[in-house]
Amino acid sequence: MKSLTGLALLLALAMALTLLVGVQDASLGDLWRAVFAFDPADPAQVVIRSVRLPRLVAGLIAGAGLGMAGTIMQAVTRNPLADPGLLGVNAGAAFAVVVGALISGYSDSGMIAALTFPGAALASAAVFLLGGARGGTAGPVRLTLAGVALNALLLSLISAIILSRSEVLEVFRFWVTGSLAQAHSRPLAMMAGTLLLGSVIALVAAPRIEALALGTALARGLGTRPGRVQLAALAAITLMTGSAVAVAGPIAFLGLIVPPLARRMARHVLRRELILSALLGAAIILLADTLGRLIVAPAEIRVGIMTALIGAPAFILIARRLTPGATA
Amino acid sequence: MKGWLVLISLLAGALLLSLMIGQVLMTPAMLWTGLWSGTGPGALTLRVLRGPSTLTAAGAGAVLGASGTVFQILLRNPLAAPDVMGFMSGAGLAVVAGVAFGVLLPLPLLAAAGGLLAALVVTLLSVRPNGAQSTFTLILVGIGVSFFAAAASSFLVTRMPPQEAADAQRWLVGSLSARSWQHAAQVWGIGSLLFLVLAVQVRAMALLELGDDLAAGLGVRINRARTGLICTGVLLAAAGVAVAGPVPFVALMAGPLGMRIAGVTQPGARLTAAAITGALVTVLADVVSRSLVPGLQLPVGVMTGLMGAPYLLWLLMKEAEAGEL
Repeated sequence: MKSLTGLALLLALAMALTLLVGVQDASLGDLWRAVFAFDPADPAQVVIRSVRLPRLVAGLIAGAGLGMAGTIMQAVTRNPLADPGLLGVNAGAAFAVVVGALISGYSDSGMIAALTFPGAALASAAVFLLGGARGGTAGPVRLTLAGVALNALLLSLISAIILSRSEVLEVFRFWVTGSLAQAHSRPLAMMAGTLLLGSVIALVAAPRIEALALGTALARGLGTRPGRVQLAALAAITLMTGSAVAVAGPIAFLGLIVPPLARRMARHVLRRELILSALLGAAIILLADTLGRLIVAPAEIRVGIMTALIGAPAFILIARRLTPGATA
Repeated sequence: MKGWLVLISLLAGALLLSLMIGQVLMTPAMLWTGLWSGTGPGALTLRVLRGPSTLTAAGAGAVLGASGTVFQILLRNPLAAPDVMGFMSGAGLAVVAGVAFGVLLPLPLLAAAGGLLAALVVTLLSVRPNGAQSTFTLILVGIGVSFFAAAASSFLVTRMPPQEAADAQRWLVGSLSARSWQHAAQVWGIGSLLFLVLAVQVRAMALLELGDDLAAGLGVRINRARTGLICTGVLLAAAGVAVAGPVPFVALMAGPLGMRIAGVTQPGARLTAAAITGALVTVLADVVSRSLVPGLQLPVGVMTGLMGAPYLLWLLMKEAEAGEL
């Protein structure tokens, strides 16, 4: 309970910073008026309403989605280095959108954004196969390098497509960079809905995923059907990652650093861990985004770069603790 | 012997293709006349348009291939390569940082410093809290370091002016466009020097491959030999990065591929085969990336990515059967 309150407070602080801090500073009064007594003539209120509120919502969706997706992935693959970004699920979602945007000629409609879901589904299915979700587990080196390969393959394909059609560089800028800056032109409401659906599936399936982690035979004995549980996990990861990529583009490392922190606070109960992951993921992405807007103001550093700068050292820390053969 | 012939004729064919294919198709006859008369379209192609970049591609591929094999032999693991373990991203980061902060050092020096620093960081960080060290941790920590170097490079690129940023972004993927004789001379000059050093070290390498105890018994100073080989390997990779950017997967692929085509097992022969195969792979990737879309040059790194990623996946599938990873 204590950790839940603490995280909720942290998230509230991150939300306030997102709304109030920036090139155009705003006060709590401005925020109040922007929401309840909007005056289009006041620049502070306009910035809050048209730029920072969408940014906040996109951050909440992407942060919660990637945090929870990472938690589910680590639970299913029993691998502390699993992350939707590092394992290529984000790249799969982005790839599908780029192809869709190229074929249709649009770059910012809700229909195109929805293509993240089939893309994420295919990539996570590939990860499950490579990660040996059926039968034994894959070691961290194999899973991580499989992700490196999948990412390299998809990003090379994206680059080849993009660079050969110069008019679509905008498509690339819009979909293949992890950033909250274009949040106002993303289908936020729709993606909030799909994220919610994914979280419900994850929360319902959580106890069975934990049973599965004990081993397939034992899980069967406890009355779970491994195939169905894995399908549910796949659906949850797809919905959560797809929503995140649709609002913020591919952002790596969030799903890596959130779960171990949440796990400790949740005392290894997956359902609790999921809820804490959502709060923590959203708080971290909003804080990283605010930091990225401040350090080089008036320019900004994309949030995907910020999470990578924080996440890569965390990756090394986690990797150092692993031993060959162990599946932690 | 037959294997070597196959390998060398493949490389010769790739070099010829690279000179022939481009905006305008050059027949071998035109190139031949250009070479001897020094005038005409053939001469222009050889001297300015495709000659230097083809030679640069071959040189960069050769040093990268040899570099990958140094680590693969030293660590007895096909996954150990300077691109996987972050040395090339480290070299790339140093070059980008040098450009961003206006450091007036030649690119090869910057790349070498970055590569060596990355190797040092990876080695130090992969000593586990309990003091043990393993290839397993080395590779994972190396991947982490390459993630960090890539992120830091992107960070620096976003701070550059737009045109410079676009160039840097392209270079970071691995690019061979608009290479001059200077680049070719640089990579071949530094490369030959490092190959000479490697030739001296190859005996120690062969002994190290037999196991540390046996090598020590035969008079090899283990730590010194190993450190020397790591430095040569990193410098080879840096020489490639300095002219072509951190081209992915060439260093990883060239060794095993060359070993198979040439049918060799001895370290010296493996290194030679890897250098030739690295040149072959890079020149071919460059040809394809230039001719895939008419009128447009894709960065060569996109092509090696498309070739190397499936190879890595296949290697992981195969390794999984052997267990341990």
